[in-house]
Amino acid sequence: MSKLEFHFTPVDGPSETEDSPNPHAKSTTFVPEAVKALQDTFGDDVQEVFLYANEHTVYVSKDRIVDVCRYLKEELGFTYLVDIGGIDLFTDEDRYEVFYNLVNLKEGKRLRLKTRVDEESSSLPSVTGVYRAAGWNEREAWDMFGLRFEGHPDLRRMFMPEDFEYHPLRKEFPLLGVPGSLPLPPQTPEAGLTLDPFAAAHGSKPIKSYEEAASDE
Amino acid sequence: MSDDILGGEGFLTTRVDAVVNWARSNSLMPMPMGLACCAIEMMAFAAPKYDVARFGSEAMRFSPRQADLMIVAGWVSYKMAHTVRRVWDQMADPKWCIAMGACASTGGMHRCYGVVQGCDNFLPVDIYIPGCPPRPEALIHALMDIQEKIRNQYSVSTDAHEGKGAAEPTALRPRVLTPSGEGAISPATLYGTTEG
Repeated sequence: MSKLEFHFTPVDGPSETEDSPNPHAKSTTFVPEAVKALQDTFGDDVQEVFLYANEHTVYVSKDRIVDVCRYLKEELGFTYLVDIGGIDLFTDEDRYEVFYNLVNLKEGKRLRLKTRVDEESSSLPSVTGVYRAAGWNEREAWDMFGLRFEGHPDLRRMFMPEDFEYHPLRKEFPLLGVPGSLPLPPQTPEAGLTLDPFAAAHGSKPIKSYEEAASDE
Repeated sequence: MSDDILGGEGFLTTRVDAVVNWARSNSLMPMPMGLACCAIEMMAFAAPKYDVARFGSEAMRFSPRQADLMIVAGWVSYKMAHTVRRVWDQMADPKWCIAMGACASTGGMHRCYGVVQGCDNFLPVDIYIPGCPPRPEALIHALMDIQEKIRNQYSVSTDAHEGKGAAEPTALRPRVLTPSGEGAISPATLYGTTEG
């Protein structure tokens, strides 16, 4: 992963951390102690640590994500889960990425956890056992990316209708949607659902599935 | 009323249509279907500065049974479309519909999978208002257009023929579908495939 040099507009004043590449970056996201503690405790399961724009990002393996979250919450004081979300990197290996933004309210520190999820399984353990607030965020990631969070108590779609077949934030999903996948209401009491004429009118044809066609190679 | 105006006889003659339309057009009760930021302008439209009470429409009714003008203010998602249509179906005839703003009229900037590209895909819209969001004056203008439309309707003949099987009077507004449900968009004709 190439590193891009990036400097914020200095509005916060220089940070006290001397080893920061950017003296104007915020110090709240600079958490070397927590990163060190994670590396000592989890060893190789902490895969990579990035420092970019003075923000620490810790990649952990998805099998240990619950343990890492529990350790961060109970030992290091990261009690507040701000957000969970998915990212579709559209790569051959480890296609999806899930991020966890955590905050230590007492010390005013922030940490970003990330884990990679392969397309085969598209599943990872749910952290609802550690952070109750993860429930809806994980449902959203399931809805938008089709990532199954094993152990989630109620993994339903968050936004799309429950009978929707696709996961719209995946890269292969067409922006205009799939014609007929989201019916409009009946226009008379006895009539059936009406299909959306918009996508078809703009040349979008229904396709049978999202399995990519095999390439020639 | 003074005797002078009524010619001293105490009565006046008019057409029923004129009286009914006068009453309907000056007592429109809007059903505020506020779905996004347009609803903020719709609030201003009802608030004292713009004061829609001047047009007899200050009584916003959140119950569809008591409303006869639906103002779709904001973008409609496919999921919400079913609710909007159900509320519309619960409103008693005669009823009118305003598509307020770019999103309700055409989908606006939300040109994507989840947003209906214009609420006229499932509602019979009478007036479209451009703007993002439109100013309250634009909504008042739309309301005045609706009033103008009502005043030019043949209300009595329409009501008399409703459900009688007699020859329908000329449609007063374009229908999305025929009354019997024919002409509904079917997957087969639309996409050239029989798969559901």
